[in-house]
This record gives sequence, C-alpha cells and structure tokens, in this order.
Amino acid sequence: MSNNSANILDIKNIEVRYDNVILALHDVSLKVPKGKVVALLGANGAGKSTTLKAVSTMLASERGKVTNGSIEYDGNAIEKQTPSQMVGLGMVQVLEGRRCFGHLTVEENIISGAYSRKLSKGDINQELEKIYTYFIRLKERRKSQAAFTSGGEQQMIAVARAMMAKPKMLLLDEPTMGLAPQLVAEIFNIVKELNTKEGVSILLAEQNTNVALKNSDYGYIIETGRVMLDGTAESLLNDDKVKELYLGISKKGRKNFRDVLKEESLKKKSN
Amino acid sequence: MVDELLFFMEVLVGGLLAGTMYSLVALGFVLIFKASATFNFSQGAMVFFSVLAFCGFMQDFNIPFVLAFILAALLMVVVGLCTERLVLRPLMNASEDTVLMATIGLGYVLEGLAQAAWGVEVRRLDLGIGDFPVPWIADNLKLFISALDITAGLVAAIMIIGLFLLFKYTKIGLGLRAVADDAGAASSIGIPLKHIMLLVWSAAGVVALVAGCMWGARAGVQFALVDLALKALPVLIIGGFSSIPGAIIGGLIIGAVEKVLEVYIGPFFGGAIEGWAPYVLAIFFLLYRPEGLFGEKIIRRV
Repeated sequence: MSNNSANILDIKNIEVRYDNVILALHDVSLKVPKGKVVALLGANGAGKSTTLKAVSTMLASERGKVTNGSIEYDGNAIEKQTPSQMVGLGMVQVLEGRRCFGHLTVEENIISGAYSRKLSKGDINQELEKIYTYFIRLKERRKSQAAFTSGGEQQMIAVARAMMAKPKMLLLDEPTMGLAPQLVAEIFNIVKELNTKEGVSILLAEQNTNVALKNSDYGYIIETGRVMLDGTAESLLNDDKVKELYLGISKKGRKNFRDVLKEESLKKKSN
Repeated sequence: MVDELLFFMEVLVGGLLAGTMYSLVALGFVLIFKASATFNFSQGAMVFFSVLAFCGFMQDFNIPFVLAFILAALLMVVVGLCTERLVLRPLMNASEDTVLMATIGLGYVLEGLAQAAWGVEVRRLDLGIGDFPVPWIADNLKLFISALDITAGLVAAIMIIGLFLLFKYTKIGLGLRAVADDAGAASSIGIPLKHIMLLVWSAAGVVALVAGCMWGARAGVQFALVDLALKALPVLIIGGFSSIPGAIIGGLIIGAVEKVLEVYIGPFFGGAIEGWAPYVLAIFFLLYRPEGLFGEKIIRRV
C-alpha cells in the first residue's frame, strides 16, 4: 500500500455506539489512498453503513457517536463537523436506498447537489452538461419526476446529485442494491469513469463482493463491527477464504456460511 | 328572481373573499408542515403575538404604520430564530410527535409573552380600510362587498404568488423542497437544515403577521385570534397540508360553503351553522380524500 500522506481518508481503530449503548463498530481501521476505489465488504449488519456514516458525520442524526479512535480526512481530523461542512470539504455520501427527492424533477434533484457551492446559473448549467456526459440516460429523463424513474435511474440521480457538489471523495452505500445485473455493471462503469476522469476517491460499501472487488483497487471485509481481512482487490478475489465465504466458490464444492465459520473456529482453537 | 341571484352572488363572493382570510392563516401552517412534517400548533399564537406587537409598536410607542409593520416582521424573524435554536435544534432527532407537542408549548409561551408585554385588553387596529361595502361595486354591480374582504383577497394573492416564485425559482426554495421530501438526503448533500428551518419559521411568522392584520382589523386584536388556528384545520384538511395552492383553495371553499350554508340551510338548524359546517365538510374529506385536494400524494413505485 502507498504511504500515509497519500491517503485521503485514514480511519484508525474507531469504535461506534448508538444511543451510548449499542456497540455497532468494535475496531475498524481503513485507509483510502488518493484517487483510488476502496471496497468495504460484508453482510447485513456488519457495520458498513455505520463506518460510512461515521466518516460523513451523518451518525449524529441517528444518535450514533464515534466513542474511540480517530478519522482523518484530507489531513484533518473529523470531529465536530456537520454533514454540510463535510460536503463543503469535498466529502459527499450517497446514502443507502438512493433517497432521491421524489417530488422534484430529475434535473432539480441533480441541481440540488450544488446547494453548498456558490455558482451562477450559467456555471450550474455548465456543470449539469458535464454531469450528463456520464449519465446520458438522465438527460433524456431530466423533466420527469424522480419518484417515477426506475431503480437504476434513481441510483444514477443520487450519484449525479452527489457529483454536483464537486467532491474529492465519494462514499457510496450499496449503490447496486436491488438492481438487475446489467444495471449493476452500468453503475459500476459510471463509478469507475468518475474515478478515473474526475479523480474522485471512492469508498464503497457493497454486499455484491464479486462485482465490487472487480471494480476496486483495494478491499476490506468487515464482520460484526471488525475488519476481518484486507488486501488488494486482486488478492482478495483469489483468496480461498473470500471465495468460500463471499463468492460461493469452493474447491470442495459449495458450502454454506455456517460451515465455514465452524471450520474457522475449529482452526483457531487448534492454533 | 334576479334579486335572488344577485343575493346568492353576494353571499358567494363575500364568502370567497372571507375565505381568503382563512387561507392566509392556513398558509403559515403549510410552510412549516412542508419543511418539518409537523402541524404547528403555535401558528394561532404567532398570529396573535405578531399583530399585538404591531399594534403595540404603533399605539404605545407612536411608531408610524410602515415602520411598525417592518419591526413586527423583524420580531417574527427573531421568533423564528429563537424557535430554531431553542426548540427545533435540540429536538432534531426527536420524532415528529415530540415536535408537535413542542409547538403546543411554544404556543403558550408566545401567548403569555405577548400579553405580558402588551397587556390583555382588546385593541383596535385601523388599517385605513373600512369593513363596509365598496360604493362603486354596490352601485355598478349591485353587490355589497366589504373593502376589507377585497383587500384580504388581494393580499392573499400577492403572498401566494410571492411564495410560489420563492419555492420554484430560488436556490433556497429548491433547498426547502428537497428538505420537505427527504431531510436526511438533503443534509447528506450539504443543504443546511437549520437555514431552511429558520427561513420557514420566519416566513410563517411574517405570514402570521399579515393574517393577524386582516383579522385584527375585522374582529379587533384580541386573544380570540389564537383560536383562528382552529378554523385553519378544516381548510388544511380540504386543501392538503403540504400544498400552498391547497391552502388557498381550501380557504375559498370553506369561506364560500360556510356562508352559503349559513344563509340557505342555517335557518333549518336555528342558525349559526357557520361554526361547525366546515368541520363536517372536513370529515367527509378525511373519509374520502385524506390527502386533501392538492396534498402531495405519497408516490410509491410499484
């Protein structure tokens, strides 16, 4: 991995609690190098969303709190910032479930992403045209009410909206949830393109391990609030444990989750 | 026959215009409901508070009309600011019901403050517009329509057009509509909720002041203005809680229906059905069209 100064995001041993009681993250450390795509993988409830919200400071609105450890973004510690301040610093989160503004048109949705920036009408239109080059589908539907667009389109709206804030870093929370394989590929193509052409660093949470790793540079696997495994995307894709647990491919035939866990714990005991 | 038709027209037009006064009160509710999905029970108290301050500035301090109005409007912005800071922000993560209860409390605080500062006696508010029929209309159209009603209609129209333009074409208006749809998503892309709340509460305060002036000029500036809020309830149920045009149309419907019913059906009930007829209408709406005529339907993709 690259050296420390090249990291746009550096999370060190954070612990997160909700309502001061429920421990959601035990110990999560991860780094996102500048200009790279990092995948955060794990099952439901593993702590992916919580990690992303800790970074974007959206935790506060859900009564969550980072109770230990530190998060450094672009060389500065994240502590008391509000979500809108984080957006001002170039960090934008695309929330799980798309969360488009249903009663607004597609175009109004996208423009609302530029709220934190002081832009003239002309500048906004220029930015809009640039965004549409990545999201060609949205341009055709610009006047439709967002609530009536398809799931894939809504995901595109959510990402396009975030891009209007001119982020240095995007946090994507399950961008492909509930989408057909073809759309999954399309969304990831756009994400890759934004990463290479706009230089946006990306941290994405996904359950879709295979596709996510194929489109990332580095991956972290978390389970019950702890990082279990991390490595380059390539090494994880070829890792036997990952193959067994998350990709459903095994040398000894298919296995279910419980079997692998049992095996792991037996191994640990014997060690 | 012609006389009867003229009389009906007079009742109808008078009712419609009186309805705009309801619309003005309802408008304040809609603004806050849009942004925070909460029925602001203190809206009636805001009407009372703002117009009493306006009268106080003019009558106790001899401040000229226009300046007193501006001062009262500024005072309502301060009230909005304090509400955001002291009530809404601490309750940011609380449920909508909690915020609703807080607005009831806020109402009592405003009522108390207003009476502590300006006294409890009924004040007369003279806007220089009489509450009597306009001679020109009476002569030419044979309709007796109050000048105050016409003014209220015009003022309501101006406020609606102004608010519509604000929401549709300004940046902060876009922000407000975004927050109204999904406050969490709005804050994730950097729309500061506190600015939006401040804007909405200030706007609702100024709307309350305008409504208070109209009602104060008609009925006197007194504590009973607080209960006006109750009349806005059927207006909102009919028009839809989240729609500005709905507040207007709802007000017109209530105004017209209650006057027409009062005149034509009232005698069978021994009169004074004006007081409850709107609520009966509201119940029918709740049964058959709960989102109101113009309320935002819950859009769900299938």
